[in-house]
Amino acid sequence: MSALGEFRSLSRSRSKAGSADHREKNRDNKAAAVFLAPWVIGLVGITLGPMIASLYLAFTDYNLLQDPQFTGLDNIRRMFSDERLAQSLKVTFTYVIVSVPLQLAVALGLALLLDRGIRGLPLYRSILYLPSLLGASVAIAVLWRLVFGTEGLVNAFLAIFGIEGPGWVSDPDTALGTIIILHVWTFGAPMVIFLAGLRQIPRELYEAAATDGASRPKQLFSITLPLLSPIIFFNLVLGLIGSFQSFTQAYIVSNGTGGPSDSTLFFSLYLYQEGFTSFRMGYASALAWLLLIIIGAFTALNFWASKYWVFYND
Amino acid sequence: MTLRVRRSTRAGIAAVTVCVALASCGVGADPVQNPELSEDEVTITLNWWGADARTQSTLDVIELFEEEYPNINVEAQYSDWTGYWDRLATTTAAGDMPDVTQFDELYLASYAERGALLDLSSVSNILDPSAVDANVLDSGRVDGTLYAVPTGATTNGILINTTLFEQYGVEVPDTTSWTWDDFEEAATELSEASDGEVHGISPFGQDSFSLNVWARQHGGELFDAEGDLVLDPEVLAAYWQRALDWIDSGAAPSVGEISETMNLPLDQSSLVTGQAAMGFIPAGQFLAYQSAGPDFDYALANWPTDSDTAEGFQYLKPTMYWSAASTTEHPAEAALLIHFLANDTRVAESFGLDRGEPGNPAFREAVEPLLDESGRESLAFTEAMSEEVGDTPPITPNGASNIGSGLLGRYYQQVLFGESSPEEAAEGFLNELGDSITAAG
Repeated sequence: MSALGEFRSLSRSRSKAGSADHREKNRDNKAAAVFLAPWVIGLVGITLGPMIASLYLAFTDYNLLQDPQFTGLDNIRRMFSDERLAQSLKVTFTYVIVSVPLQLAVALGLALLLDRGIRGLPLYRSILYLPSLLGASVAIAVLWRLVFGTEGLVNAFLAIFGIEGPGWVSDPDTALGTIIILHVWTFGAPMVIFLAGLRQIPRELYEAAATDGASRPKQLFSITLPLLSPIIFFNLVLGLIGSFQSFTQAYIVSNGTGGPSDSTLFFSLYLYQEGFTSFRMGYASALAWLLLIIIGAFTALNFWASKYWVFYND
Repeated sequence: MTLRVRRSTRAGIAAVTVCVALASCGVGADPVQNPELSEDEVTITLNWWGADARTQSTLDVIELFEEEYPNINVEAQYSDWTGYWDRLATTTAAGDMPDVTQFDELYLASYAERGALLDLSSVSNILDPSAVDANVLDSGRVDGTLYAVPTGATTNGILINTTLFEQYGVEVPDTTSWTWDDFEEAATELSEASDGEVHGISPFGQDSFSLNVWARQHGGELFDAEGDLVLDPEVLAAYWQRALDWIDSGAAPSVGEISETMNLPLDQSSLVTGQAAMGFIPAGQFLAYQSAGPDFDYALANWPTDSDTAEGFQYLKPTMYWSAASTTEHPAEAALLIHFLANDTRVAESFGLDRGEPGNPAFREAVEPLLDESGRESLAFTEAMSEEVGDTPPITPNGASNIGSGLLGRYYQQVLFGESSPEEAAEGFLNELGDSITAAG
């Protein structure tokens, strides 16, 4: 009824004199421009401007203190013989490929558990979300270093079973693993999104399936997962983009070195070192664009692949 | 409507062009000769790194300065060493370098040669650094131009935790004539006596100061007078091999423990926590260690030598400097602050030995009566060493600043974890450092 009323009033206003209509439209446009202004200024001044500046710098030799010198494709050529770049790509890809699916699996698993209507759900949800609020913070990264240290909590626990654990953070074989665990631990954000997604699935489907004798696992694979696939896709895209850019944890856990022995040299950490520690901001800008291209390619690949497994119920 | 859109697009492009132009804005212009002090209110910034004690004493000194010159406000900017240089690079690139900055020898040439620092001869009407010992003052010159006034200088030394030696009943060797074998034997004995609770040596491997002293013990050096890299790869490999030997013999902690305590701030280092009993430190930091580890008694000793060790291997390394930004809007006031920091003995009373043994003799005199026992020990050590030091090598050249910020440590870790032999790592390190210097020059 109300929609019909709205339509009527709309058509009535449209039949009014053309000049008044025009003026109103003009005023709306102005208001829109005013409301958009903060965002546009931010976009141009803080994102777009520096991005274009960095595109220019990517083709220069720029040491931060002197004018950049245009060097053509030198920075790109340098990438092909840069062993630390190769190492940082290896670290970053390992991190993304392991930690993103793992985090989503944990988030989904917990969301499924919480969705079974247990009592005190808001409390559990908040507690489980807590790590996400803390995970990216400096304090937690420092704590992580202590928990996984030679004398840390993990080794104290292992000692109960007579196992003498290594210094997890200081051993090149395990350092990246501890950062992956730290990332997986911050499953809260995707979990909350999964929970919201699960609430959208009509209960009748489960009732109908149960009547037809479908077991719980069968319901999970035939109803829950297909209907949740757009949400999984959304979390996957965000997770991938976020993990390619991760910086804070590695910076703090390794004291900014990417060590031990470059085993936690994340791409963005290497980029930071090149720009601010080695004064090669031109090369760092080129690296930033390489990262943008990699993330863009992965996201595009993701969208292309999504048509084979994401199911939109509309 | 369409016209307006197009105009705003054009404005956007213009804004972007400005950004690019700003980014390409270099620093450094010809300084004003002999600027005049302003009568008006002036605000300048003073930027330094350091732990809490230094922060407090520096804030006190700022207060003194502001009392003396009521029209000058000094804004304090301070942080830990970690992050200090990253931030300085960023603010300098933005043309916003603090007016007066505490500098380290590693970075001085990098900033001076790129025009970021004020030629202090342009403010000689206000700043007179002549009270500072001439040979110490010379370390503030880059290509003959004075860019920074050193606060003091220090040799390297070995910090010995005598409490640990006593606790486990191991005798500290006679450090006036000890050899490298004596050093290692005492360390191994301590590790064994404590059943691995404590280790004798916290090895060197990643700081350019100890590497320089090591190279000089072997008759070499890192950089020659022209700032060219001349370190013999075999000497560098032997430096890392020595660390490996200590680990193998049990004189030093395991690789895992070393890796874990690497890059930790001084007050968490294994020498302060009592995990290691002897380590290589800039002697000027003796007091900092003593106050961070009040439960222990520390002593300072010269490096061990062998019969074939070169003479005069120790040298006076400038501890830190005061310098002004070439972009400062108040060169006169910045110069006045540096003059005050370098000459007013009340500054010495407040700083003590925290910024090294003062390069200004008047400062030493002012400090001496105020020192406690460990302070006097530290000063006595430096004075005894000043008999033995050789020529001060040139400061770290432009492009080599990253030795201290991880380059040496990165290759050291490869050696520690067995990813490269000391020889391979030495080659890789020297190539990378050489490229970096060439690229900057």
